[in-house]
Amino acid sequence: MSNTSSNLHERQSGSSTFDSQSSDEDIVLECRNLSVAFEMDRGTSRVLHDVDIDIRRGEIIGIVGESGSGKSMFASALLNAVVSPGRTDGQVTYHPRDGEPVDVLGLDKGPLRSLRWEDISMVFQGAMSSFNPTMDFREHFVETLDAHDYDIAAGIERAEELLSDLYLDPQRVLDSYPHELSGGMKQRALIALALVLEPEVLVMDEPTAALDLLMQRSIISLLSELRDKYDLTMVFITHDLPLVTKLADRIGVLYAFEFAEVGDTAEMVRDPKHPYTRALLNATPNLDAPLTEMRPISGAAPDPVDVPTGCPYHNRCPMATAECEDIKPPMDAVSETHEVACHHWPDVDDEIPLSTGVQK
Amino acid sequence: MYEYFVKRTGQALFTAFVVVTLSFALVRLMPGNPADQLRGQLIRNNPSLSQQEINRRVANYINIDYSAPLHEQYLDYIAGILRGDLGQSISQNASVAEILGQALPWTVFAFSVAILLMFVVGIALGSIMAYWEGSRFDVGTTGIGIVLNSTPNYVTALLFLYVFGFTLGWFPTSGHISSQVVPIVDPLRPVATFQFVADAVYHASLLIAAVVITGFGGVALAMRGNSIQVLGEDYLRVARLRGLSDTRIALRYVARNAILPMYTGLLLAFGAVIGGSAILEQVFTYPGLGYYIVAAVEARDYPLMMGGFVLITLAVVIGAFIADLTYGLVDPRVSTGGDAS
Ligand code: SF4
Repeated sequence: MSNTSSNLHERQSGSSTFDSQSSDEDIVLECRNLSVAFEMDRGTSRVLHDVDIDIRRGEIIGIVGESGSGKSMFASALLNAVVSPGRTDGQVTYHPRDGEPVDVLGLDKGPLRSLRWEDISMVFQGAMSSFNPTMDFREHFVETLDAHDYDIAAGIERAEELLSDLYLDPQRVLDSYPHELSGGMKQRALIALALVLEPEVLVMDEPTAALDLLMQRSIISLLSELRDKYDLTMVFITHDLPLVTKLADRIGVLYAFEFAEVGDTAEMVRDPKHPYTRALLNATPNLDAPLTEMRPISGAAPDPVDVPTGCPYHNRCPMATAECEDIKPPMDAVSETHEVACHHWPDVDDEIPLSTGVQK
Repeated sequence: MYEYFVKRTGQALFTAFVVVTLSFALVRLMPGNPADQLRGQLIRNNPSLSQQEINRRVANYINIDYSAPLHEQYLDYIAGILRGDLGQSISQNASVAEILGQALPWTVFAFSVAILLMFVVGIALGSIMAYWEGSRFDVGTTGIGIVLNSTPNYVTALLFLYVFGFTLGWFPTSGHISSQVVPIVDPLRPVATFQFVADAVYHASLLIAAVVITGFGGVALAMRGNSIQVLGEDYLRVARLRGLSDTRIALRYVARNAILPMYTGLLLAFGAVIGGSAILEQVFTYPGLGYYIVAAVEARDYPLMMGGFVLITLAVVIGAFIADLTYGLVDPRVSTGGDAS
């Protein structure tokens, strides 16, 4: 069907996504044409390509992708923290609860320094090594408060509360050195450190990757509690689709450095429309199963220097047609809360049935 | 921590004991038994001495009475060392303890200054190299550092002595102070004290320069490597994102974590350099520990030689011991006995 309809959609919406069309939504982070590129000897490596997405205030959005899909770059780009020599283009607009919108990518060093951690905070992959090994946790908190001219005493009180919210013993943690805590404890201490300046948005890049399954689940439930208590917006980046369905309100699937599909979690689990999302879900026999049992998807992840023309998924997609090879599919609305970038999404139900019987 | 302390102390004591025992065994096993040689010397010089008198003098010199059974000799020897009695020097007409006691402070002074300078220069250069990794400065300094580091320090020493000592005459070529300067360290007489210290530094400066020039390259390269490693750590990226000031990151994050692994090296360097002091002190005719050891070897002055060896080895053992014990104070990871995770 959708040749005409999708072209039409493309024309009318241009670069703006479906989300931003509804004006009553409270958007906290607005990304437009967000791209990250590295110049390399063999050409330009585009590790994030023209991504448009709106992150709503108070939601938990899960960003799912294979390794090398650009998801870490997306996380860094939200804070304008892509490491050099990476180049970030496009627009990230931060809308504070009150005050003028902030152009994150256009900020000078000083304002950028205060935006990070005060407004948008981040928990990295690798909490094990996110702390200075020769400094206790209290000093980590104090120096952070100090660098942003926050009141230290009040800040430490907040840190103590955060730590107990995360089921840690505040005094014990504050007086410990990094090597004295277990991985899971360090991970939670890092989340507390990320929240000590009361940011609005918390970006987490694979926060649970190094933890065992039990610890992963417990951190997931802690995160929901934190969101409710502190009115946070969370961007949760992971390769673990089953895990993120337990937590996120919405899920965006990144493939080849752009979004393939974005939608409410329930729709994404029950009725995903993109062949890649279906493949990801079908690779997970049981959404409650540990990730180690997940089957890999056949075919290789695309090369950022040489992204396939047309639909980037066409050489792995069982439904690919000639059209897919030549024309890049635009984002198309499946429902008010669900959009997908695929020419043939209406046929996906017949072609690739979902094998998961699990309801969210 | 307590257990660690006890263990390290035990190890140090054991090492010291082994060193002293080995030195005893060496003298006993040395070809051309030193006691016989001394006996011969005494008989040649004073043919009128009685056998008993000769035995007494030999025992006095060597600190070992050869007529006693072996285990008694050994116990006497240990007891002597514990009392600070290392015997009587043959060539210097003074007790070994006295000679070494006078020489040691000069060696410690000259080489401490040298090693500290070497570390300060090396650490400063190494951090700059790491920050500018790959720059011409980095590449150039790395090259120079490697060349200087592989030059033996006595070669540099001879060169300095020839150029700055004899040819240009800028620095004294021997001794540790000028003859007219009174060795005095007295806070009530600051001028005299200052004169003395300045003169001492002046006399030691070529020796210090030789150690620093040939040693800083290794320190700089180690510091460079450590810093580059720390600069790539996750916690550094997080620290930057947290908005910490560049100064704090440079000092509290990079410098601290890069210097820490070198702390043990610093203390061990004292032992190693003092152990190697003999040649340098000989080149500069600097009457320190090493100078007397060489003199003793030349004069076949066994008691002095042995005393020097024992002292130097003990210095190395003590250096390593201090390094072990204090490392826990500077690195929190050690005080709890290793990595918990
Ligand atoms: S556009 Fe074509 S190739 Fe791409 S996902 Fe849809 S069907 Fe597959």
